[in-house]
Amino acid sequence: MSALTATILEDKMDARTKSVAPDEGARLGFRLTLPAQILVLFISAFPLLMQLYISVTDWSPLSGVGWWNAWEMWNSFANYTDLAADTRFWSALQRTAIVMLVCVPAEFLLGLALATLFADDFPGKRIFYSILLMPMMVVPAVAGYMFFMLFQSGGPVNDILSRLVGTPVTIAWLSDPNLALIAVMIADIWQWTPLMFLILLAGLVGVPEDQMKAATLLGANAWQRFTTIVLPKMKTIIIIALAIRVIENFKIFDTLYIMTGGGPGVATETISVYIYKVTTQDLIWGYVAAIALAILIVLSIVAVYAMKRMAKSREVPA
Amino acid sequence: MSAIHLQNLVKKFGDFAALKTMDLEIADGEFMALLGPSGCGKSTTMNMIAGMEEPTSGKILFGERDMAGVPMGRRGVGFVFQNYAIFTHMTVRQNLAYGPKMRGTAKAEIDRRVGAIAEMLQLSPLLDRKADRLSVNILQRVAIGRSAIMEPAIFLLDEPLSNVDAAFRAVMRTELKQLQRQFRQTMVYVTHDQLEAMTMADRIAVMDHGVLQQVGTPLEVYNNPANVFVARFIGAPGMNLLKGRPAQSDRGLVIDLGPLGVTPPLSDDLASAVRAVRGDVLYGFRPEQVTLAERGLSMPVSFVERIGARTIVHLGEGESAVKAVFENDVGLSVRQTAVVAPPASSVRVFDADTGLAVRAG
Repeated sequence: MSALTATILEDKMDARTKSVAPDEGARLGFRLTLPAQILVLFISAFPLLMQLYISVTDWSPLSGVGWWNAWEMWNSFANYTDLAADTRFWSALQRTAIVMLVCVPAEFLLGLALATLFADDFPGKRIFYSILLMPMMVVPAVAGYMFFMLFQSGGPVNDILSRLVGTPVTIAWLSDPNLALIAVMIADIWQWTPLMFLILLAGLVGVPEDQMKAATLLGANAWQRFTTIVLPKMKTIIIIALAIRVIENFKIFDTLYIMTGGGPGVATETISVYIYKVTTQDLIWGYVAAIALAILIVLSIVAVYAMKRMAKSREVPA
Repeated sequence: MSAIHLQNLVKKFGDFAALKTMDLEIADGEFMALLGPSGCGKSTTMNMIAGMEEPTSGKILFGERDMAGVPMGRRGVGFVFQNYAIFTHMTVRQNLAYGPKMRGTAKAEIDRRVGAIAEMLQLSPLLDRKADRLSVNILQRVAIGRSAIMEPAIFLLDEPLSNVDAAFRAVMRTELKQLQRQFRQTMVYVTHDQLEAMTMADRIAVMDHGVLQQVGTPLEVYNNPANVFVARFIGAPGMNLLKGRPAQSDRGLVIDLGPLGVTPPLSDDLASAVRAVRGDVLYGFRPEQVTLAERGLSMPVSFVERIGARTIVHLGEGESAVKAVFENDVGLSVRQTAVVAPPASSVRVFDADTGLAVRAG
């Protein structure tokens, strides 16, 4: 979330410099909020600056000097040049992108379908609603263990498949490099579709009913109503939902780490898993700081783009 | 072709009968107002005509065609919603073009029709404005135009003026009436405002508690209300109704109003009809038709409202309260006693038990 906070902060500072009026009230307001502004600035700027500082050194907790003396280990941007040549980093980034490009659209489409279903009344709606929201409330680590059990070669998934096919199925889900990634993505979709569903349902319920009726009376069929009324009205909320999931999914870690530990080999090693391993196993913190900064830049670009789109669509309020 | 026939129409929501029974014939090209207080079933009736709700029983015919099971998109009705339901994320042009576009009309044809309708409704300079920044009278015209572009044979309007302030309402009443003259469609107009119904409609259908009370031209409904509800509902203030018992006097048939004394004699036609009534009757007359007289009902003045063009005088109190409306001003003040008499020709009598009008033979 640090990327988001950073951009929000930028926005705030922007607005402030623009709106400081020569008027006494505004100046008083500025002085009153100054302590809070400084605190926020410190909280978000200090770690960033510290990270930047360490990322140009070979510092690690075991190097025997305090981090403030890390300049003694200055390595003239070697971390960044290493990073550019680090194939393990690039393939982790690529894998993270693949997971995101599969999971987020799948969660979006499933969530939208479910939200459309739940926008109307049907018997037992409240019970199904509660059941549907449950995955979101499961602790990711627990979900990880659950899917770890489910995808064992003698586990329930293979058991059900065997019954369906009629012959025993013994797929090694978590030890096959390709299938492991699929299993991990299924777990992510299971856990996060409900969030998408919840946000999109809120948007869907907000679509004015009589505009829908008016469209029907003018001869629009269900699909036309969906594309010409529902989607345009939900644009802002869809962008928010997608931005939240893109940023969160990029950081996918806990469920995945418990299911596969990034393996077999590096088959499910995403950026977060890679950073975790470099931090805890290799203990080269200067390098970790460089990676983290690179990722922050990527996520900031996503966040800024989403906010620009939102500002644009707010000019045409729903 | 575009006449509407409602036959034995009933609508129930669970145990609640929103519409108990309704038979109504609306002629081709007629402007019919459905008038009644909230909860009288007028909007339910309208929604069933539009196809938003299915009747529990009974039939809706457009001309010869039975509308049962015809979905609302295929009924060919134009509908103007109470809040206009303009697509706020589109421009005026996109709103107007919506219907033809959904039906796959050719681009050039859409442009031509949008141009024509915009010209007619004076929307041409506003075509590329976003619809969420328009004033309410323009929204109304867009709502009408959006339906009218489909050239529906039937136009339904659901209280289109209820969100508008009073001064504007007068302007829009005239505008709507002129539009109906231009389009020459069958129009059904739902309202709880009798002024709108009286000024615009060819005929008014007065409803209450899911029952049709009376259908007639504005003047018929005003002059000859079919029952006590219509008498009280139409007119501002409504008709005065005093309970009494018919009695024979040497000057003719009068109504004995108890402590208020007796009324002036009824007209001969009315008298013969009233003689047939057993039990109490309600003696009714319009506040506007009251005149001060030598002989008549003598009542204390309890309140005087002067509103410029008219003065409303409240007489008596409780069960026997009466209102009298005079032009400009009248020399009466509180605690004076006024002697009022309605002209015999304007007196209406209702059966106190059934509430129905006693009509002169």
